[in-house]
Amino acid sequence: MTITIGIDLGTQSIKIVILKDDVILSREKAFSGFETTEIAEELINKSLKKSGLSKNDIDHITATGAGIQMAPKVDSTVSMMSADAKAGVYLFPKARTIIDVGAEEARAMKCDDNGIMVDFVVNERCAAGAGAFIEAMARAIEVKMEEMGPLSLQAERASSINATCVIFGESDVVSLIHKQESKPEIARAVFDAMADRVSSMVRRLGVNPEVVLIGGVAKDVGFISSLKRKLGVDLSIPDYPEYAGALGAALIAAKRSRRKQ
Amino acid sequence: MSETLKMKEQKQQKKYVPEISQKEIEELNKSIETSSQKIVAETIKKMKETDKNRPKTMKYFDEMADLFDKRKKEIIEEKKSGKKVIGYLCLFAPIELILAADAIPVRVNSGWYDASKIGDRVVPVEVCPVIRSTIGAKMVALSPFLENSDAIISVLTCDGMTKLGEILSDYKTVWQMTIPRIKDSDQALQLWNKEITNIKKEIEKLTGNKITRKKLRKAIELTQKATKAFRRLQDLRKGNPVIMGRDAMLAIQTYMWDDIERWTENTNKLCDELENRVKNKNWSTSPDTPKVMITGTPMFWPDNWKVPTLIEEANPQGVIVADELCSNERILNDPVGVDEWTMNDMINAISERYLMASTCPCFSSSDGNEDRINWLITKVKDYKIDGVIYYVVRGCMLYAMEYTRVKKVLDDINVPVYYLDTEYTREDVGQMKTRIEAFLEMLSARKDF
Repeated sequence: MTITIGIDLGTQSIKIVILKDDVILSREKAFSGFETTEIAEELINKSLKKSGLSKNDIDHITATGAGIQMAPKVDSTVSMMSADAKAGVYLFPKARTIIDVGAEEARAMKCDDNGIMVDFVVNERCAAGAGAFIEAMARAIEVKMEEMGPLSLQAERASSINATCVIFGESDVVSLIHKQESKPEIARAVFDAMADRVSSMVRRLGVNPEVVLIGGVAKDVGFISSLKRKLGVDLSIPDYPEYAGALGAALIAAKRSRRKQ
Repeated sequence: MSETLKMKEQKQQKKYVPEISQKEIEELNKSIETSSQKIVAETIKKMKETDKNRPKTMKYFDEMADLFDKRKKEIIEEKKSGKKVIGYLCLFAPIELILAADAIPVRVNSGWYDASKIGDRVVPVEVCPVIRSTIGAKMVALSPFLENSDAIISVLTCDGMTKLGEILSDYKTVWQMTIPRIKDSDQALQLWNKEITNIKKEIEKLTGNKITRKKLRKAIELTQKATKAFRRLQDLRKGNPVIMGRDAMLAIQTYMWDDIERWTENTNKLCDELENRVKNKNWSTSPDTPKVMITGTPMFWPDNWKVPTLIEEANPQGVIVADELCSNERILNDPVGVDEWTMNDMINAISERYLMASTCPCFSSSDGNEDRINWLITKVKDYKIDGVIYYVVRGCMLYAMEYTRVKKVLDDINVPVYYLDTEYTREDVGQMKTRIEAFLEMLSARKDF
């Protein structure tokens, strides 16, 4: 029996997955905040308690994510790309392209027939292809972020904004408001612009099915619909897409733990 | 004021560089020099920590790595005795002609991050940081080698280099050389040959020394010996690692400002020690560490050692065993090949070596810069490369544009390549670390499978 923990220290939230022999026992998340290390530790204790486990039961803990240097004491670390690829293939064994869109960055991984990552690309210079963009644009048109997706699906036609960055995107949205475009149309333009950026990034790797979408933004129906249109393929999305990074880290922890035994 | 006087005054005005007070120059110069020496000491310390059995003969190159110490003093002394110093910006400058005129060749491109911000006062941030930093270094008189140069050879390769010489001519005598962008035509070689003959005359005029047949032969033989020592070092990097890439890269790069004879002697000593390490199976790091090759924009000591540092200090670790950079292996890869030691033949051999052997992306051909592509593939095979880091700084158009071509070719032979774009800054080290570690994890996983 192998019990492992994966921690994903994202830019906006911390996610934890506990695995027992590659089966998920529990998942937890919390906002990162300033005291990331402490919050992560609390989160570990909380999920251990929920699963009726103690720290001594854990064979290996692996951390991943942009805030990795803030991780509590762990056994090993792994890059977000490797963790994502691992989780993508675990969730959908035929996955060849894995796209992760998080709060502040987007990346895509290519896997071969053995499920091994063979290439990746990242978009981390700017937030226009990531979740923070939706948040900023929702503010600009005065709707809640969660409403953006459903709203965009009501759009009757596509208008466009040029999202080279959040700042310019915002001024583009303002000019759409001035043109008296409706909110659904603007919401759709926002998702189309994001999907444009993400899809051109993915195209650098090649769009090989099965294509898996993970990360917090994979819960947004507006983005999913735009990305499907731009890539021209179906997307496989797991039930808890924001936990994929933590899941990948936990799977890698299990592999590392077995290797040691 | 008379018209002629007015014209004279205008002539003295700088064409590009804005006024900057002596006080500011001194302050900036001092602060960058101090932080630079700190960075050099720190980087060397880290290099020593990475390889616990770091070759003892690296001590010589560590000493040469301090740009403000021994070599600077030597050059100033030699100048006092009447020697001239000739700086160069691209590898197309014919070193042998400089040596044959008893002058000292030094490469003067800047690797200082902080100097690039000063260069921003002259050119926009979209311009490649190697160019901006070299301008900035000149503005605050930072580089001992650039400062002591009596003339600069500027070769019109990329767009940045084309204008850099022009901007530096605000301060120094600059000799510009036109490089043909298409290599394999008669007119290209003819033009380049004329450029070489012309630069020979300029060098003779400046130094007052005639480049004789005997002296040129001696100079060619000197660089041939250096290439031989370099190739010996490279052969030692083909097997299990006996030297970390950062150490080898530093040793090679010091050739750009060191005394060439002494450099050759010390490189051979380094090779002697490495051969012993091979015999004793004393590896610098585990033999299954992924072997990495770097290609792309040149990387200049001291600040721009970021990528080699990240690769060799990463977890999992990578070891750089080869590169295709004009700041490293390309310097010494090819000797001047002479059949008959006549003046004519030697000049022709020099022209050919500098033009034909270059794998700079400033060349274009309908084959897709075949020379560089073939060279990369040969290296990947010879050094058993597991993965290639394609390094590009913002504004480095030619390398950025050739990436797609290189990736296609490497994909075909199933060798992963990663495009790493960055700037002259320390701020993106965190992001770069993640990307490099993901790449190395990928290489390890492939080896594992």
